[in-house]
Parts: sequence; structure tokens; C-alpha cells
Amino acid sequence: MTETTLPTTTPRAEGSGSMRGVWSWLLRHPPAFTLILIVAVSIVVGAINTDFWQMSNLFDILRASVVRGLFALGVLVVLASGGIDVSFTAIAAFVMYAVTMLVVNVVPDMPILAILVLGAAGGACFGALNGILVHTLRAPSLIVTIGTQYVIRSFLLTFVGTALFMNIPAAMDGFGKLALFTHHSANGSTSTLPAFVLVLAVASVVTWWILERTLIGRAVYAVGGNANVAERLGYNLRTVRIFVFAYAGLLAGIAGIIHVSSNRLANPFDLAGAELEIIAAVVLGGARITGGSGSVIGTLLGVVLITLVSNVLILVGIPSTWQLVIVGIFIILAGAIFSMRGRTS
Amino acid sequence: MQPQPTDSAPAPRNEPVVPFLEVRDIEKRFGGVRALKGVSLSIEAGNIYHLMGENGCGKSTLIKIISGAQAADAGALLIDGKPVEQLTPVAALAAGIETVYQDFSLLPNLSVAENIGLTQQLVASSGKLARRLDIPKMRETAERALAAVGLKADRSFLSTRTDELPMATRQLIAIARAIASDARLVIMDEPTTALTKPEVDNLIGVVDRLRAKGVAVLFVTHKLDECKSLGGRAIIMRDGQKVAECAVESHSKADLAFWMTGRVLDDARQRSTVTAREGLLDVERLSRTGFFSDVSFSLGKGEIVGVTGLLDSGRNELALALAGVNPADQGQVRLEGKPIALEKPTNAIASGIGYVPEDRLSEGLFLSQSIRDNIVVPVLDRLRNAIGVVDGRRARALAERTVADLQVASAGVDKPVQSLSGGNQQRVLIGRWLTINPKLLILHGPTVGVDVGSKETIYRIIQRLADDGMGVLIISDDLPELLQNCDRIMVMRKGRVVKTFTAEGLAEDALYRALSDETIARLQ
Repeated sequence: MTETTLPTTTPRAEGSGSMRGVWSWLLRHPPAFTLILIVAVSIVVGAINTDFWQMSNLFDILRASVVRGLFALGVLVVLASGGIDVSFTAIAAFVMYAVTMLVVNVVPDMPILAILVLGAAGGACFGALNGILVHTLRAPSLIVTIGTQYVIRSFLLTFVGTALFMNIPAAMDGFGKLALFTHHSANGSTSTLPAFVLVLAVASVVTWWILERTLIGRAVYAVGGNANVAERLGYNLRTVRIFVFAYAGLLAGIAGIIHVSSNRLANPFDLAGAELEIIAAVVLGGARITGGSGSVIGTLLGVVLITLVSNVLILVGIPSTWQLVIVGIFIILAGAIFSMRGRTS
Repeated sequence: MQPQPTDSAPAPRNEPVVPFLEVRDIEKRFGGVRALKGVSLSIEAGNIYHLMGENGCGKSTLIKIISGAQAADAGALLIDGKPVEQLTPVAALAAGIETVYQDFSLLPNLSVAENIGLTQQLVASSGKLARRLDIPKMRETAERALAAVGLKADRSFLSTRTDELPMATRQLIAIARAIASDARLVIMDEPTTALTKPEVDNLIGVVDRLRAKGVAVLFVTHKLDECKSLGGRAIIMRDGQKVAECAVESHSKADLAFWMTGRVLDDARQRSTVTAREGLLDVERLSRTGFFSDVSFSLGKGEIVGVTGLLDSGRNELALALAGVNPADQGQVRLEGKPIALEKPTNAIASGIGYVPEDRLSEGLFLSQSIRDNIVVPVLDRLRNAIGVVDGRRARALAERTVADLQVASAGVDKPVQSLSGGNQQRVLIGRWLTINPKLLILHGPTVGVDVGSKETIYRIIQRLADDGMGVLIISDDLPELLQNCDRIMVMRKGRVVKTFTAEGLAEDALYRALSDETIARLQ
């Protein structure tokens, strides 16, 4: 059971209020750890440098969380089903570049909604291909998606193009600049919260709804828990596998469009190598790499933690080259703590 | 072929009855092996059936075909007299064929309510997954089904993950799932393997209620005693064929065992009385807080002592403490008069204690590794050559000697252990410990999941080892097994040894009574 549906699921020991009870409650609610780490990092950094508490910094973190968050929701769904996907950044790069090129050259006045739908559809097609390959070849999804990652990326650079688009379509440019909220600080500077954070909000709610309130969502966890048993009980593995990879691809496509809109640049070399960071964020949020667990809320917290660490350590004078050390320590810590959950039961 | 009982109709009836399920001339091949060679049977509502046979006789394959998990190569399936073209798992469930698998087939990461209730929603949508989840209905289904198997369904239980529950509860949940929707045939694949006697009694109660409602129950089993006590019809398979079908009451256990194995088996006492033994193991006031306390006994060379008790009696923990897996926190263990520390498994091995665990699949064997590697693992340092590398020739020779000694039926010691049947796997595991020439061998459930013919071979091995002077401790809930093999039997309850019997001449029901509450209450 994931934390989001049944927050009342607590061990009997909790009633005692002892340290032991708190500890075992934490073990059953991994996102709480993530939240504790986020709070701890915020307090430490905020105490050293009060600039941390500026609205502009908060907005920056939220802005930087959107693309990561969309990727991470896709990875969550794949991980929950017992698979793994490392091709989503390649899918996003392909979709964002190809769609930008298409819009610029063919339909320059395409509205942003249509562009997003196009990106989502393109990503979903690539993802479905992953799912079909994983299912029909009965091959480990890590291997298959490493393969498709290379193929997609290479195809993009060889046949679609390598030149950067500096002048992105007006609709995308406008979407990237659209402000949900503008803040004027005391010193006269203004900072804006971009409207595209709403895309992440909508995607989170939809992902939560699918995972917790539909039969396919439960089937995803069932297959992740034990694929052989799930098949025996009548769950269609093919449907589940194609669905999870297509859904991850769909979110990656949308993430690609937002990446271009936000950076006002379509660079086909972008996003490469970000896969592990996203997977780490999902695992930090409490999903097990072996499948069958993980929640939307945990994933979002994991993304915020990773973004926080990469954005704010610079504020306290920690060189950016050290960020990965902190992230690495957090991941090892999370791995150690979450593995205790298995041993205590 | 052996003489077959030939009563064709289950009971004389006036009008012809269409059976719920009819299986006609089912054939199934796996590569070059014919797993099923034209099997036919019919299942009528409200009856109990026992599908019996040794491991590898094709009974599991037959179950998979009936439950839609595999398709037959030839033959026909008829439900209510109508032929079924393609039986998928969901179609079988929709027809009311429910299976309780030996491994229970629960989804470990989902809640009790989901494990029970999701199947029904899957059947309602005919396997289509793009549907909203009906959570109130799922909970209601689960509550109703849990009540039917005698489990209390409060909110926190419904939302518990099934991997956090004890085995017996998991099984009841698997049964609850099977009867949650309108089951017409419940197949139970070796349902009593993980259960103790009171739990089995509870299961029998559930089965009676099902039968009263007109549900057919098909047990897949090789436990003759249970088959006799439940009654119904026995369908006996051997070598991919149905060799006999008869009413259980009309034939003796010896007949049934003969059809299953094609051999005459004997369930008489294997043990011959031995006297005057040297001391070997002395256990004094051994305790592990929360599990067992104040356990004292001694065991001589060449003696076989049995330990039994209910699941929570502490018998498992006692075995694990003596094996050094979960050390005791008080008391003393002496082997040949010398006190030994049992802090970890290597201590036990070094002192000459071999431990064959209960769950050979997860605790004992390296399933995908070869038979040779599984056997030589405790003596790798003895097989080192001058430069510290394991001498392959000597390892192979040792493995081959062990395999021959214990009559393991295999196609060579390089084959993976998972290619062997349950009984042969168990012999490999026993053989592994014989390589260290143990003074004491602890056998934890030595014949769990082992078929009748193999059981006998294992018993003969145990007797021979004891005759050679090895001390043997058998922890088991299979009472006939203990009565056949042991000199003495200790009964544990709530962490204490409450009674020690001399096995010779002891009746099974006297032993069984010692396990149950009333007798204990009277003793204390």
C-alpha cells in the first residue's frame, strides 16, 4: 500500500509515542525522510545565507523542478511496475527538437496547446515502442532502454539535425514567459513564477489518480510486486508494460516542450546524461528500484530535494563540483534506511 | 499398468447430471516431453476431489490448464457441458474456477483488501484495465470473503500489506480471494504444506462450508492421511496419465500409494530399537527471549530425537538457535561434553553441526547453480589445491560420491539444482551437510513438499546415518514422520518443552492431543 491512499496505515507500536514507534512509522513512510532532509537542508542553508529565503530563490527552485518532475513521474510509473527506463531524456530531446523544427518550418502559428499535444503524442509513441520491445523480447528493460536511448539520440543527430534553434516559435516563447505570479521584492527586483509549473501540478494529480484510483494503476503495482503472480491472476502484462513506458514517454515529450519554452532554445544535445539524477530523485522519494512501490508525493519531494541541493549549495559557498557528493550521500543514506524497511517486517 | 478401480460414476443417480467441468483427452508437451498423455476427468458440483500423484506426474500442468494459465495442445474442456475454446485466466475466473496456489500467489506489496477485491473487478471488466477502481466495493468484497474464512476484517487489517502477515493468514487470504466471487470450483494446490494441525482443521471447516454451498473442491496433494480424513474422490496420476479414480473410502492408503508410485510402500516404523548410547549433545536451560525458554535435553550418538509443536511453539527458533542462525541468549550447549558457542552459522559448522533448513528454496539451495557447487559449498577450503584454487576434479568426485550415496536422480552433477524434483533437491541438501561429516544433523521439515516415494528414501537415509553413529534432530509437524523415525519426541508449546514421549508404540492421536490446548492446560 502506498502512503497516499491510506495515511491511516500505521503500525500498532505508533500509539506508544516512543522513539521506536516514531522510527517504525518513518520506515513505513519513506517520503517523510525526504521531507526531513529537505527541511534540514533548508534550515542549514537558510541560517548561513538568508538570501535563501528570498521569493526569487523559491521560484527558481520550482521552475527548475518542472522538467525534472515530469521526467520523475514517468520514471515512478515505470519503476512501480518493476521496470526501469533510461531513454526518456533521449525521447524528450528528440521530441522537443523535431517539434520545434516542424513548427518553425511548417506551421509557425501553431498554438501552444497543440504543440504540447504533439509533443505528448510523439513521446508516447517512442515510449510504446519501448514497452513493446520489453514485452516481446522478454528482455530486461534497462538493457532495452539503453539501446533505444542510443538509437533515438543518434537518429536525431544524424537525420533530424544538429543546429540549434535560437528563435523558437512565438507560442512556445510566450508560454515560457507567461507568469503565474509576479513578486516585487523590497530592493526593487522582480521575480516571476512561470505558468508552466501548472503542467507539473496537473501531471501529478493525473498520475496520482491513475496509480491509486484505476485498475491499470493497481495492475502496475501488482506487476511490480510479482509479475508471475500477476500474470497468473489474469493481469495482462503486455498492456501494463506498454502503458507504463508509453506514459513515461508522454511525460518526457511534454517535458521536452517545456524545456525548450523555458530556455528559449532547442538544443538537440541537451538533457543527455540526466537520467540517473532523475532515477535517483524517484528512489530518494521512497520508490524501490526493484519495483512495486513508490508514490507521487514521495517522487515530488525527491525532485525538490535534488533540485534544492543543486540550486542552493552555491549560496553557502559550497562549490558546484561538490553538489554531487551531497546528492550521492543522500542517495546512499536513503538506500540504507529504506532497506531496513524490508528487514524489520 | 496396474489394476484399476473401475467405478465410472461418482454416485448412482437417476437422471444424467451435466458435470460442472469436463476435461477430455488433454495432451500437453513441453519440448520433447509429453507432460500429459490424454487425461480425462469430470468435476461435479458439491464434491471433493483429490488429484494425487508424485512430483512430475503432470498434476501441476493439469491444474494450470484448468485454471487457464496454460493452453492444452489437444483435447477439450467443457464447462456446464459447453466446450470452451480458449480458456484465459480471466475467463476461468469468470466461469467460477478459482485456484489457491501452493505459493498462495498473493501480491506482496498490495493490501489485503486489494489482494482479495481486485480479482473480482478484473473479472467484471473481462480483463480490461482501463477502468476506475471501485474502492468501496473492493472493501466490501474483502470484508465478506474474510468473514467466510473466519478472519476479522477491521480497517487496519484490510490495509496491511500481505508480506507482513504470517503464512497461515496469507493462506486464508488466498482462500478468501478464491471464494470472494461466486466460485463453483476451488482448486487447492497442496494447501496444507505450510500449516499446522489446528490450521488444517480450520481449513477443513472452510472446505465443508464450500461443499455445503454446492462448490466443488479439488485438492492437489500427496498427503494420504488428509485425503482419507476428508473423503471424496481420488484421481490418481502417474507419468502424465490418469491411472485410477475411485472413492477415497473404498480403498486403503496402501492402495492409493501403490497407484501413485507403482511400488509397495510401507508406513511402518523405520526405527529399530537401539540401546546404550554415548552422550553427544547436551542442551541446558537454553532460552531466547520471546521465543523459547528453559529448554533442556540431551541426545546420544546414533539417536534420533523429534521436536514438534504448533507454529508459535518455538520449535523453529530452537532449531535456528542450535544452527547458530538466531543465537540463544541464555543457557549452554555442550557437544561431546565440551561447551560450544553458537553465535553464527560458521560456529555450528565448525563444531560439527549440520543444519538442513525448512525452506530449501530460499534458505538452503543455490537454485540456479550446479548440483556439484551446492554440495561442496561447506568444504571449499578443504578442496583447495596448492595455490588456493578449488580443485575441480576433487570437487566433482566428492559431489558424484554424495549423489550416488544418496541416490539423487540427476543427469549429472553439472545440472542446476532447480532441474531436480523436490525430493532430490532435499537429498542434495542433506548430502551437502554430509560432506562435513557432522556429529549432529538438524533436519528442519525434512520432507516438506516431497512426494511419497521420495519420502521413504529420505527416511532410509536418516536411519542409516543414525546407525552410523550420527545424532539426528528432526523438527517437524508431520507427526507420522516423527513416529516412524524417532526414538524420542519432544512436544513444545509456548516456548517450553511440555512433554517428551518415547516414540515406540506411541499412537498419533496421543501425540496430537499433547499439541492442543486442553491437555497442556491440564498438565500445568
